[in-house]
Amino acid sequence: MDREFQFSVVDPNESATELVAVRALLAANQLEFDTFNQVWALCHLHGRLVACAGLDHNVIKCVAVAKEVRGESLSLRLGSEVTALAARRGYFHLFLYSPPHNRELFRGWGFYPLIEVPDLVLLMENSPVAIERYRDLLRHQKRPGARIGCIVLNANPFTLGHRCLVETAAAGCDWLHVFVVREDASEFSYGDRFSLVAEGVKDIANLTLHEGSDYIISRATFPGYFLKDKGTTDRSWAAIDLLLFREYIAPALGITHRYVGTEPFDPVTNNYNADMKYWLDKAVSTAERITVVEVPRESVNGAPISASRVRKLLAHADFEAISHLVPKTTLEFLKRGYSAVGVAQA
Amino acid sequence: MRIIKQAVAGTLESSDLLVKVEPNDSVLDIVVRSEVIKQFGKQIRRVVAETLARMDVDQGTVVIEDKGALDYAIRARVQAAVLRGSGSDELNWGQMS
Repeated sequence: MDREFQFSVVDPNESATELVAVRALLAANQLEFDTFNQVWALCHLHGRLVACAGLDHNVIKCVAVAKEVRGESLSLRLGSEVTALAARRGYFHLFLYSPPHNRELFRGWGFYPLIEVPDLVLLMENSPVAIERYRDLLRHQKRPGARIGCIVLNANPFTLGHRCLVETAAAGCDWLHVFVVREDASEFSYGDRFSLVAEGVKDIANLTLHEGSDYIISRATFPGYFLKDKGTTDRSWAAIDLLLFREYIAPALGITHRYVGTEPFDPVTNNYNADMKYWLDKAVSTAERITVVEVPRESVNGAPISASRVRKLLAHADFEAISHLVPKTTLEFLKRGYSAVGVAQA
Repeated sequence: MRIIKQAVAGTLESSDLLVKVEPNDSVLDIVVRSEVIKQFGKQIRRVVAETLARMDVDQGTVVIEDKGALDYAIRARVQAAVLRGSGSDELNWGQMS
């Protein structure tokens, strides 16, 4: 009976008919179809779809097994299939979203719980030790002080607005930890964004600049963030990212305050700031509360400085206007990049 | 052998195991999770450690999700994962037995 299960890998762009069955199977399991899955692992029995799992880069979502085939260890085979599928695509450190009640099922897949938003969603990863190894790295960079600040920047690219936020936070704290979002889903590459931040803050003495990671505003912790230019957001994702910060990252570094710029233009970031106050400071958690400090966005000529404004100006190669919004190091980079590579597809 | 990239071998099914390896510059870090850890945890660790030693692996992170595999299955899966993670396809089989 075992060999009657037929596993296959399906590209959602090429198999519209398969997806009809996937949608139905997910609906029968009270799961929503996620259009961002790049590939699906499917299992058929006698030509009928009985199990599915979606993969979006290194994140597994939308896992369902039909009721009538449960208890036949099909789930474990599906787990093996999707792990192997991810490996073939170059992803080994995997994350998984599940309803909280399926925790035990995915423990069988070798996934371990990271963060749960009660009754809503559970984020797991396929390592029993990865998060602790990461926290060990952070603990080595812990600094003494009563008020330890943190800023997470995408810096796409680094502007005078970011600079002002960093300066304000550093002045108000004994030590400031700055993280640069690692995910390469923005106009400028992670390497470029990181070097521009490094150049832009190197004169600030009480600051540690950290590499981003899978655990801090990444595709795994906060998929919606990278879809903001597409106008799609899902606010429940922010809870996962923020609770991960509060329960794992902040305690490792002794962070007491999180600084953030106000964001008049960008609804995703705006909602994120509101969510931040709730999940870091108000929500019930075993972890200490973290105070959120909003710093008004620096303005030039009456308009707040934002990276999106810089990208719009860059599209028109308006370097005169850009020069008022970014530090010299960023300006030089943009001029070089713009003429040489034509980066400006903002 | 040196683990230079992440790799995986095996499955999650009963009597098998999934082995994940990744580079680690400082130590050899072996993590074993098993459904039979209480009865056989020590034995599994010993088989994994011996297999790695025979392959001259002294650095890296090796995570085992065991589903009650027998020793030879454990050896084979660890060898396969290390081989993939070393980026090489040559193995001195004489060293392995």
